[in-house]
Amino acid sequence: MKKEIIKYSRVMLIGILMITAWSCNEFLEETDQSNFTLENYFTRPEHATSVVNSIYESLRPVKASGFGGGPWMMLEFATGLANTELGQAQNSLFVRNLINNSDNDYGQTYWTSSYRGIANANLAIEKIPEIDMDNAAQNKLLGEARFFRAYYYFNLIRIFGNIPLITTSIDLTSPELYPEPASTEAVYNQIVADLEVAENSGLPWRDVSGRVSMGAVKSLLSSVYLTMAGYPMQGGSQYYQLAAEKANDVIQSGVFGLFDSYEKLHSVEDKNLGEHIFMTQYAAFTVPSSWQVSIIPYNRGISAYSAETGGIFANQEFVESFEDGDKRAEEKEFFYTSYSLESDRTTTMELGDYYIWKHFDEEAQLNTTSSGLNWPLYRYAEILLTYAEASNEASGPTAEAYEAVNLVRRRANLPGLSGLSQQEFREAVWRERWVELCFENKTWYDMVRLRKAFNVNTLEFEDYVGHTFSYGPTLKERELLFPIPTAEIRNNDKLTQNTGY
Amino acid sequence: MEKNFLKNLKFNSGFVALLFFMVSIQTMAQGDRTITGVVKSQEDQELIPGVSVLVKGTTRGSVTDIDGQFSLEVSNGEVLVASFIGYETKEVAVKSGMDKVEILLNSSFSDLSEVVVVGYGTQKKSDLTGAVGSVSSEALQERPSASLNQSLSGRIQGVNVSVNSGRPGGRANIRIRGNTSVSIANDPLYVIDGVIIHAAGLANGSTPIDYINPNDIASVEVLKDASATAIYGARGANGVILVTTKRGSNTGGVITFDTDLSVGVLPKKIPLLNAEEFLMVEDIAYQNAQKYDPAGWDNGIYRDPALKRTNPLLFDGNGNPLHDTDWQDESFRQAVTQNYQLGLTGGNEKDSYGIYVNHRNEEGLMRGSYLKRYAGRFVFDSQIKDWVKVGGTLSYTEQKESQIDPLGAGGIIAMRQVLEALPIIPVKYDDGRWAGNEDYPGMEGGNNPLHVVEDRVYIVNTQTMLGNLYANFNLAEGLELRSVLATNIINQRVDYYGGRMLNYIARNQRGDAYVDNDRLNSWQFENYLTYNKQIDENQSLNALLGISWQHVDRFNSRARSQDFQDDYFKFNNLGAGANVFQTLSGTSAYGLNSYFGRFNYNLMEKYLVTFTGRIDGSSKFGEANRYAVFPSAAIAWRLSEEDFLKDSRTISNLKIRSSYGVTGNSEIPAYQALAGMGNYTVIFNNSRSIGLGINRLSNPDLRWEKTFQTDIGLELGMFNNRLTFELDLYRKLTEDMLLNAPVPSSSGYTQVTQNIGSMENKGIEFALNSVNVVKNNFKWDTHFNISRNKNTVLELTGGADIFSGSTIIREGEPVSSFFGFVHQGTWDLDEADEAAQYLKLPGDIKYEDVNGDGAINDNDRVVIGQGIPKGFGTLMNTFQYKNFELMVDLQFMYGNDVLWRSKHSAEDRQGIANSFRTVLNAWTPENQNTNIAELRPLTAGYNTFNDSDRAQEGSFLRGRNLLFAYTFEPDLIQRINLNRLRAFVSVQNFFLSTKYQGYDPEVSTSGSPFDQGVDLYAYPKPRVFMLGLNIAL
Repeated sequence: MKKEIIKYSRVMLIGILMITAWSCNEFLEETDQSNFTLENYFTRPEHATSVVNSIYESLRPVKASGFGGGPWMMLEFATGLANTELGQAQNSLFVRNLINNSDNDYGQTYWTSSYRGIANANLAIEKIPEIDMDNAAQNKLLGEARFFRAYYYFNLIRIFGNIPLITTSIDLTSPELYPEPASTEAVYNQIVADLEVAENSGLPWRDVSGRVSMGAVKSLLSSVYLTMAGYPMQGGSQYYQLAAEKANDVIQSGVFGLFDSYEKLHSVEDKNLGEHIFMTQYAAFTVPSSWQVSIIPYNRGISAYSAETGGIFANQEFVESFEDGDKRAEEKEFFYTSYSLESDRTTTMELGDYYIWKHFDEEAQLNTTSSGLNWPLYRYAEILLTYAEASNEASGPTAEAYEAVNLVRRRANLPGLSGLSQQEFREAVWRERWVELCFENKTWYDMVRLRKAFNVNTLEFEDYVGHTFSYGPTLKERELLFPIPTAEIRNNDKLTQNTGY
Repeated sequence: MEKNFLKNLKFNSGFVALLFFMVSIQTMAQGDRTITGVVKSQEDQELIPGVSVLVKGTTRGSVTDIDGQFSLEVSNGEVLVASFIGYETKEVAVKSGMDKVEILLNSSFSDLSEVVVVGYGTQKKSDLTGAVGSVSSEALQERPSASLNQSLSGRIQGVNVSVNSGRPGGRANIRIRGNTSVSIANDPLYVIDGVIIHAAGLANGSTPIDYINPNDIASVEVLKDASATAIYGARGANGVILVTTKRGSNTGGVITFDTDLSVGVLPKKIPLLNAEEFLMVEDIAYQNAQKYDPAGWDNGIYRDPALKRTNPLLFDGNGNPLHDTDWQDESFRQAVTQNYQLGLTGGNEKDSYGIYVNHRNEEGLMRGSYLKRYAGRFVFDSQIKDWVKVGGTLSYTEQKESQIDPLGAGGIIAMRQVLEALPIIPVKYDDGRWAGNEDYPGMEGGNNPLHVVEDRVYIVNTQTMLGNLYANFNLAEGLELRSVLATNIINQRVDYYGGRMLNYIARNQRGDAYVDNDRLNSWQFENYLTYNKQIDENQSLNALLGISWQHVDRFNSRARSQDFQDDYFKFNNLGAGANVFQTLSGTSAYGLNSYFGRFNYNLMEKYLVTFTGRIDGSSKFGEANRYAVFPSAAIAWRLSEEDFLKDSRTISNLKIRSSYGVTGNSEIPAYQALAGMGNYTVIFNNSRSIGLGINRLSNPDLRWEKTFQTDIGLELGMFNNRLTFELDLYRKLTEDMLLNAPVPSSSGYTQVTQNIGSMENKGIEFALNSVNVVKNNFKWDTHFNISRNKNTVLELTGGADIFSGSTIIREGEPVSSFFGFVHQGTWDLDEADEAAQYLKLPGDIKYEDVNGDGAINDNDRVVIGQGIPKGFGTLMNTFQYKNFELMVDLQFMYGNDVLWRSKHSAEDRQGIANSFRTVLNAWTPENQNTNIAELRPLTAGYNTFNDSDRAQEGSFLRGRNLLFAYTFEPDLIQRINLNRLRAFVSVQNFFLSTKYQGYDPEVSTSGSPFDQGVDLYAYPKPRVFMLGLNIAL
């Protein structure tokens, strides 16, 4: 009897243990408690703001700077007007010496971060309309998302040329995961379409918090039209006319004006104010900007920053090509050639080269080593010069065009232009752009849309292809575009590398 | 140093006192009658003189005379233990009425009846059909070390252990039969007493196995082929390491005490510039600036360095240096390590228990680094009824490590500053201030290494609890049910502080502190039935069927703040930092549900068949692919049991075995199948806002990575197994490889975890054991093993290269291939025209224009070396004479390269920090045949790449261990109530023969999985002089 009980209880035991095996299917269900998934998001108005916020982050990766240089320097070294002391930043040297190739991480960063921004914009544009929320707020957020999609595509099309155009969000089964390159025209059409929606989204002219404003939308659109007028679209005077109109909208808004001193261009107090229309936002100690270490000479002991990398400075020949009396060539306006020593601020060191002052944050360099300086993406001076150039192309130099360019010149203590032919006016405005907007990632874009380069020795504009940099290398056809990153070509066999790379 | 040493000794004298206390309380016992006996050899029945015969658990003993005779006082129920060199120890119980005894000893040549642990059970070695290697605790004891992985080095063929750092704990990297995976873990699965250890990446490259006390280990088995590993299914592909820990005693109370004390010293210095040479290099560089940067020279950028040598703390009035500091002498010390292990065990055949405690205090060679461990473990086993046995283990380990070598760091770290601190500065000035490179103008201002060590604190505090409870139910004849409930909890806290004065580390942040907390909980519940049946005299079978659940969850958080008023607080008061960083936390969890079985069939002891299978389900994978089956099959033929060999006097064992099977790898992070969103940080109004956007592409098809492995093995024993060989050939083919596969980033995503790609490992393993001499109290054993593995990446996503650390993963090449430029020396004067085409001058480094396009850029990079060796192995000779033992253990590795990345800052650049002494061989018009470019200031332009000059031949032969031990005569030590007393001295790493110019070619300083052989400021391995005692009573 006892034996039987033992025997049965043993069988029961096995039974219990084994049966439990089939009773817990949900055992293998785990939810990610640290993250939302796409499926369970987009239910509240806060989610609409949140997804639009994420698009802004993609402005920052290209500005990250350090011992490896920084992606933004790619667009400066490609002009032939910049120099470096940072021997280990091979990516900078390859671009500067015109032996660039598709493995360059700078290009990879531009490509990847822009498309990341586009993907978040696509998601926002797709999902925000599904959220039940205040209509005006919804439209503004959609306007911001459209602005960014246009902004990132505008950079991509100019840098890489033959790019895919993606306007929907993607999953692993989407055919757009492996997209064909789109025609240049299709990309520009999408950019213009997005900006037209943004123009009607009810955004305010200025947003001092740093969000996208109507000023930003119109400025970008004027820049897009100006580019469409030139290479490679060659839209001609019709687009110059449009560019002039959009720039004029910004001017006529009366919201923006030139700073009275260049100092304010890089003062933390004047961020998002005055001349600034749209900027990449930073805050000291929270998300500081990192290029301060790149615009100071290599290990000369002038900065509180431990890292003094000498990443980028101006070619001597370029600064010395400025017009006589141009305030911008004077010490500590756009450039600096001497600075006090960290060990003894009463001693000044001659640096021997022109380092970039227009992005210099004195408070960070002297004391805090954490810079809250923003990067200017659009400022009023550019809009004035765009207006001057575009209206001249559309209808010759008008009084308004003279006034626009002379506002910029007068601030530089230069005499106003007058009595120029259309061609003379054209080159005078170009030259003004080269100087005023130098080291703001503008000049290379101007060079390729015009297919012109400024010869710092002859002080003449000459054809881009065939132009020889002051230090030797000569621009070839292939340098009208940057190479598409190696990984992108390899991962998507529908893309073809740009000619010459 | 001495002071600390004494302090430690004082502290640890508690252990010693306890030991002596235990010795003194043991009383002498006497037997009640005399027994006489004879000891003979089992094989040839010859009498053996000199055999020690002891009464177990007492101090009574004797030694056989010339005729093999002995006599002893005994009582009934006592146990005689006979031991002799070259023979297995034998125990004989004394029964009533027994007054004469004959003890037959088996020769201790490889014994096939030995039982080895396999997954979910044990097997006789002779019955094995798979490739299994084992290591005994005696072998592990010969080279005591801080971690199991370190101890396993060289023990088993096919198991490549790279001890990649000389720091305490060693950061060993272990690979069984090569790398099987590109994106996920290549570490083997560890199973400790049946508890599967969750493969987690812990702080600074450590893993859970680093927190197991190796002194607790009784044996280690390594499962290599599919037949052996398939029982672990989805986690078996990288091989399995089964650890069995020490249990209680079943023959009464036993106390063991093992201790070792060692001193580590730096075996080799890297030649660096002294003060005079450093200043000379700076002068020459300055002179050459005119050649390399004429424009800058004209602008006055360069100034004569002699003019800045005015600091009276560093220079005399003539600009000559006051100091000539050798930073290697200053930074490395005689590192003292102490280790104490106490075992208290007791019990009888039915019930037993054991208590083990350990303390280890290891100083690192580099000042400031250390490891301290306190460990305790309790085990019990009890046959509470004849049909049920229960038992359990509970262990707790507390480990505190101060680590000065952050993984993957290329910035200013202490090890870098050992090479780059200026010889012209002292450690401290007379007023007690630290001296640093910044005190000499124009330098890259890293602080000196001792300052960095003191003010950059990285402390890893780890508490590990490992516990299991089991019950074995005897259900019927041969049928057993085992139920095991186990848990593993790891709590790890990392405390970090970077001091306010440390340039590039935290000076710009005015102090930087964080505390990371990481908690891992894992539980496991397994039930399995085992059935053993002798069908008839020719056939037997053994079957296993089981089910398992495991669940792992993890939670981590970080709090960080910067900008402190004082270094005083370190990480202990984050609130004292003015700048509070974003606080982070995260959690993840996954579950596994598995069914497993094995079937062994044995026909006439000649033909053996094994089938194994496991069905694994994991929450990590896409819903459609939750479960997968991992089967394997193996056969073995014992030719030596066949009639034609049975009576052979030469061949005592001959077995051919072969296996094929599938195992998996599932060690991807949780939730990879789901479309997760991620945090974005943006600034509005000068303050932080958060966005949520895309992060992870969903892949509902995500499934296991599978490895198909074929193995053919041959085991041969000759002359009564006095000479044994084991040879294995294998091929492992990994398919559906889990890759963080790149996707076109036009999608907004850059990668997605996908099952794409395949990789192959082919290899051969050979081991030889030989008892060369056994005669007249002398025995000479040789163990030799060698393994070769060839890895080839067969297929990647769209054939695209993957860059991983300093290596490239490319189809047709092995993983761990270094990638870079071909360094062809320097441009000669007569090559000036050709050099000019590349914008170079004679004196610049000459790189090969591989694609001939007239430019040196990334398109000219090729594979320049292999970090993983072609082959590796061990040669170990042991000589025993009477009670003396001498062991010489040599380790070798060949066909591997080391990428000496330290050359970037210590050779390619001069004049901003100290350099390798090799820069004295730089190019000059008189010295054009050199690899080193002409000296010049950095701003004049220079080249620095990962190139073939950095990829150096890394083959080596190392004297891993030289051990001399003496085991005291039992009858001598019995007078002080001891059963066993063994003393040893050893020298580990006693020589290293290699062409490699860095500290040690067995190295990796990168956290990147295939950066084996990358040396960027490596922590050198010490030469260790050790003294130890093993005591039992």
